[in-house]
Amino acid sequence: MGKQATEMLKGTLEGIVLAILADRPAYGYEITAWLREQGFSDIAEGTIYALLVRIEQRGLVDVEKVPSEKGPPRKVYSLNTQGREYLEEFWRTWSFLAERLEQLRKGGE
Amino acid sequence: MTTESNEQKSRYRQYLELVTGSLEDKRRYRQYKARIRRLPENYRTAAEALERYLMMLGPADGAGAMAMYEDLADLLEQSAADGTPIRDLFGEDPVEFVEAFMANYPAGQWRSRERNRFTSAIERAAGEDTGGKDRAV
Repeated sequence: MGKQATEMLKGTLEGIVLAILADRPAYGYEITAWLREQGFSDIAEGTIYALLVRIEQRGLVDVEKVPSEKGPPRKVYSLNTQGREYLEEFWRTWSFLAERLEQLRKGGE
Repeated sequence: MTTESNEQKSRYRQYLELVTGSLEDKRRYRQYKARIRRLPENYRTAAEALERYLMMLGPADGAGAMAMYEDLADLLEQSAADGTPIRDLFGEDPVEFVEAFMANYPAGQWRSRERNRFTSAIERAAGEDTGGKDRAV
């Protein structure tokens, strides 16, 4: 992943994580693993954790502590109603941006 | 353990905490330190480096800072249990991680205070002060 991709990703990472959680509940490690599989190789697990703490503080996800075989209980995050509304707004913003950028590439109007 | 903290603090303890800071915060901090001591060595080394950074640049003390250290211990314990390599945990630029992490705990950060002060100063300079004072036009 190039530097430019990493920079662009920063602004959208929150939306990406919410979109993953819209499909099914997940814990931090699963989210990072999924992102790596999709080619987002430079994302630190700690950065995802910081993002999860933030969206929890803002009330976009519900958190359930599930006991694990090794280590402390895992926090499993699921998108709640407020999170779904926020995700819808994210997709609207994304469509707006993508459309405008595409126009710009075609030479403006 | 929690029943005691729900009771009203004794007058003696109120005075004591004026001098020493919150005893509850101190207890939470000791618990955090004990959790860090139990980590494998490389995670512990990382934890100590993080702690220095957070002490120098993050929230000074209080409940906000304790929540931050507890979240950090959660992350490190989980990563140690999963065997997540240090580099995968902190990425190529560990400063990016620590700044993103620290930003979640604005209470008690001198940077937050200065940011608010700066924002208000620009509001006043822009003539947008809505604090009931005369507008400087």
